[in-house]
Amino acid sequence: MKRKTASVLLAAGLAISMAACSSSNSSNETKAPSSENSPQVTGDDLAFYKFPKPVDVHVGMVVDPTDKTLPQGDSVNNNQYTRYLKEKYNINVIVDWTAATGNDYKQKVSLSIASGKLPDGMVVDDRSFMTKAASSGLLYDITDLFKQYSSSQVKEIMDSTQGRAMENASYKGKMVSLPNITVDTDGVHIMWIRKDWLDKLNLPVPKTVSDIEKTAKAFVDNKLGGPNMVGIAGPSKNTFPYATFLVSSNNMGGFDPVFGAMDAYPGYWLDNGDGTATYGTLTDNTKKTLALLADWYKKGLIDPEVGTRDNVGDPINANQAGIFFGPWWNGGYGNGDSFKNDPTANWQAYPVYSDDGKWNTHMKTTGSTYTLISKNAKPDVVKAILIMNNALVRDESTFDLSVAVGWYPLRNVMAAANETEYEYTELLKVLKGETKPEDYNKPNSLYKLMYSDAKKVQSVVKAPYDNLNVSNFNMTNFGDFQRMYSLLIGDRPFTTTPIDKKVYSITYNQTPTMETKWANLKKLEDETVLKIILGQASIDSFDTFVKNWKAQGGEEIAKEVAELLKK
Amino acid sequence: MVRNKTIGSRTFDTANVVLQALLLLSCLYPLWYTLCVSISNKSAANAGLVTFYPIGFSLTPYKEIISDRLFFNSFWISIQRTVLGTAVSMLVTVLMAYPLARPRREFKLRNTFMWILVFCMLFNGGLIPWYLTIQQYHLINTIWALVLGGGVPIFNVILIMNFFRNLPKDLNEAAIVDGAGPWSILFRVYIPCSIPVLAAVALFISVYHWNEFFNGLVLMNTSDKYPLQTYIQQLVVNIPVGTSLTPEQYKKLSELSNRTLNAAKVFIAMVPMLVVYPFLQKYFVSGITLGAVKE
Amino acid sequence: MRKMGLQKHYYLMLLPGMIWLILFSIVPMFGIIMAFENYNPGQGLFRSEWVGLDNFKYMFQLSDSRAVILNTFIIAVGKIVFNLLVPLIFAILLNELTHLRFKKMVQTIVYLPHFLSWVIMATIVIGIFGYYGVANTVVQAFGGHPKLFMADAGIFRQLIIGTDVWKEFGYNAIIYLAALTGVNLNLYEAAAIDGANRWQLIRNVTLPALSTTVVLLGVLSLGNVLNAGFDQVYNLYNPLVYSTGDILDTWVYRLGLQNLQFSLATAAGLFKSVISFVLIFISYRLAYRFADYTVF
Repeated sequence: MKRKTASVLLAAGLAISMAACSSSNSSNETKAPSSENSPQVTGDDLAFYKFPKPVDVHVGMVVDPTDKTLPQGDSVNNNQYTRYLKEKYNINVIVDWTAATGNDYKQKVSLSIASGKLPDGMVVDDRSFMTKAASSGLLYDITDLFKQYSSSQVKEIMDSTQGRAMENASYKGKMVSLPNITVDTDGVHIMWIRKDWLDKLNLPVPKTVSDIEKTAKAFVDNKLGGPNMVGIAGPSKNTFPYATFLVSSNNMGGFDPVFGAMDAYPGYWLDNGDGTATYGTLTDNTKKTLALLADWYKKGLIDPEVGTRDNVGDPINANQAGIFFGPWWNGGYGNGDSFKNDPTANWQAYPVYSDDGKWNTHMKTTGSTYTLISKNAKPDVVKAILIMNNALVRDESTFDLSVAVGWYPLRNVMAAANETEYEYTELLKVLKGETKPEDYNKPNSLYKLMYSDAKKVQSVVKAPYDNLNVSNFNMTNFGDFQRMYSLLIGDRPFTTTPIDKKVYSITYNQTPTMETKWANLKKLEDETVLKIILGQASIDSFDTFVKNWKAQGGEEIAKEVAELLKK
Repeated sequence: MVRNKTIGSRTFDTANVVLQALLLLSCLYPLWYTLCVSISNKSAANAGLVTFYPIGFSLTPYKEIISDRLFFNSFWISIQRTVLGTAVSMLVTVLMAYPLARPRREFKLRNTFMWILVFCMLFNGGLIPWYLTIQQYHLINTIWALVLGGGVPIFNVILIMNFFRNLPKDLNEAAIVDGAGPWSILFRVYIPCSIPVLAAVALFISVYHWNEFFNGLVLMNTSDKYPLQTYIQQLVVNIPVGTSLTPEQYKKLSELSNRTLNAAKVFIAMVPMLVVYPFLQKYFVSGITLGAVKE
Repeated sequence: MRKMGLQKHYYLMLLPGMIWLILFSIVPMFGIIMAFENYNPGQGLFRSEWVGLDNFKYMFQLSDSRAVILNTFIIAVGKIVFNLLVPLIFAILLNELTHLRFKKMVQTIVYLPHFLSWVIMATIVIGIFGYYGVANTVVQAFGGHPKLFMADAGIFRQLIIGTDVWKEFGYNAIIYLAALTGVNLNLYEAAAIDGANRWQLIRNVTLPALSTTVVLLGVLSLGNVLNAGFDQVYNLYNPLVYSTGDILDTWVYRLGLQNLQFSLATAAGLFKSVISFVLIFISYRLAYRFADYTVF
């Protein structure tokens, strides 16, 4: 019944939007309808409006140099996603430049900001890039156009963050970028452990840090992963030992749950409750945790190559590691090769508890990437970019993902903050036969991937459903396997276990003084922390670090952050 | 040469031969190591186990490269850049070196020009202004940005100039007596007399163009315009792992950290230099000697 | 009259080079202004706020700048010294080889690393000094514990200097070898007849023949004391070794292209240019005075 109503509505919508096209064609050939000349077109029809004449959108894009999913003959300028945008919305995507993920891309963004010549749109992964461009007057004020041209789905997702996403995307009260919004669980880090190895050694699942120490030791002693066995995998040379207020999520290979279990929240700005703010890295609990990690490193429980590997996933995928920490998608999505190399690798996810049995975790900000739109973009181009975002949010689940969705121009993920929890719960219902996939066929749903996942889940997961192990999963369609594994195993702790203490940072953005001084302080912090863990510096150097950190601008910044508490 | 072959002397000889052999092997090691990694078993190579000899044997990476359009594309761009860059630079360099090699009484502003050159060799406006000007010329993303972006090879101008200055004066005077103008003196007399040093400079310039990666990274907008070294750099050294990647991106990256394939690419990138330099050895040896230590 | 005619030709010959120079070196030099402003890309080079020497003052306040200058200096001077001495010793030893074909072969092969880029050499250096690399195989063979060489700030500078010397020693020896071929063989014979042994021959004949070259090269490399080698460090370093491995060029790069501090980056770059200019000027004067060598 529901389904029918929906499709009727959809048809009606189409009719209206087609009417809108023709009406605007007659009144004004080149411009998309504005509220003045076509008042009858509003809401979602505007959000998925097909331009009467092609609109050229120039973009800068991040590409993955190792990607091989583009079919022969297709290119960054011409692929299934650009063709989709052309056919459905008459948007011509022209890629001005591309660069590889990471430093190369940052460099291109820097150069385009430095030259004041932004492409119409580009996605940046650091808020300081957005604020620099905004303060230089290079960004388009999209406040009004966003209200007019965003789909109800996008607005709903924005609202699911209680205004935090909007605040992040704004500079001096004006909306100057499209924020990404990711699921909350991206910021909740858990322990991934080889349950098959635990079973082999007849060990229980470790709960506390001292349990983990014993388990890692047992793993290392028994060399279950071969001669180069790694007890606990850790960060690579490009990642960090813990997530921070600026990059507050998706820290694969960090030690976040260990810090949490010690009631330490390094990298976060903590509210002292008395109007002052403390930087979490400076606390005694952080110091204690670092001493513990240094001890583990010394005992050979942590990967000896921690901090210098090219890639966090290397020892994990080579099945040399027994434990690592990371968010829900790290098992499945994050370590696909591990399953390819050993289909019995039974990675399971659990929280790490403090000695008094509490699960503490830091929580992430709404998102950390931003779509910047150039001040010099024409209004039609800005509208086109908003429509591209609406279209992605609505249609991503219908795309043929054999071509990596990263090729979608200006892709900047927007998901409801609780999408994974919802999916976990509902997918189990589908498996147990309590609901049917068709029940989820709701276009424009806030949970945009639910329907397509519901259709897949039964072919991937086998009964019994109460205690899912890797043996319950069918890997034939590996992409589907990875998604289901991450959802049903990786998100289980967050969905089913209540968190005792959720810690938010006072701010997830830079204060004015940070704009000049933070890079230096962060460097000081990164160096000290890694050196202590690696035993290159004694734990006493921590106190010197605290002193230097405060002297080199940290104290000043802490006062600025405390000011934010008054608001 | 008379040598009194004492025991000490013979021990020294033996030790010396061993040492030189070790040095020789250490210089061959890069080649050998890269080759070993490229033909080893993939998982052994990814685990970093390959050191002195290949573990397992597989030519898969080389087969994969054959169908890699982007790799050959970069290779071709590097060849274009090297050929064009060397040709343009050589022409300009030789043309500048000749007037600057004239004594001041013959070319009055010689010293002024010389100072301008030295100043430009030592001073630069910094990376960002340099990028902005090249952008103004609309050369970004063209081969000319790579060919010209590095600027005039002033050091090489000075090298050739010094060589010209040390050619026998009679050469110049005899030509003038024969009624030759400056152009024909340069092309008919000076250049034929300077083949070794010119060959050496041409080699320096082409090595620069072949090996340079940074300009490629900054001045090229799309990866299908990257020269080979830039292509390899972004693939091998800058293995992109960030904390703000989306799961799907991350997944792809971790699956494709592929040391054997990368090693095979590095190995192929080494080949042109390996083939070229031994043949030019006698030129660059005499070129360096003549340019740097003038008698 | 004839001279005037010549001038015209000379200008014509300089023309292409000068155009190139103006477009690609002199025009970008106006960007140095950026070091004295708070550069705002939206307003452009000529309308940004003028701040005088503020960027330089701020630069020297940063604890980074001192460390970076020191690192640059240590690495560069280390490279200068060892790139003079190691090739010298190598050339002398090579000269002592009696088997001519072996000598020729060694000579040809040691040039090889010079012709490979740092992009390529970095992949190899990282392989050798990785946890399971050759270096650790050797360390373990001697009973040591494997080390993380690439992550050890305590040895990163040595590693940079060492690998640079390894890459360049063969090539740098060319000049010495050339100087040695010029030594009159009679000198060796005369000395040998006088009963000199190998060591005395080296000390009394070979070394003096090379001394001018060594001094001259040493003086001329003075201008390099702030050139620690961007390509090499950029391709080898990681955040763990910033404290000892970050050099002016990489710092400037990160300031400008990662942290968006355009003015500060330009100021730091200008600082390096000025110091280098002064040093090179001094070195040329010294070379002229002591070796009667004019560079240009």
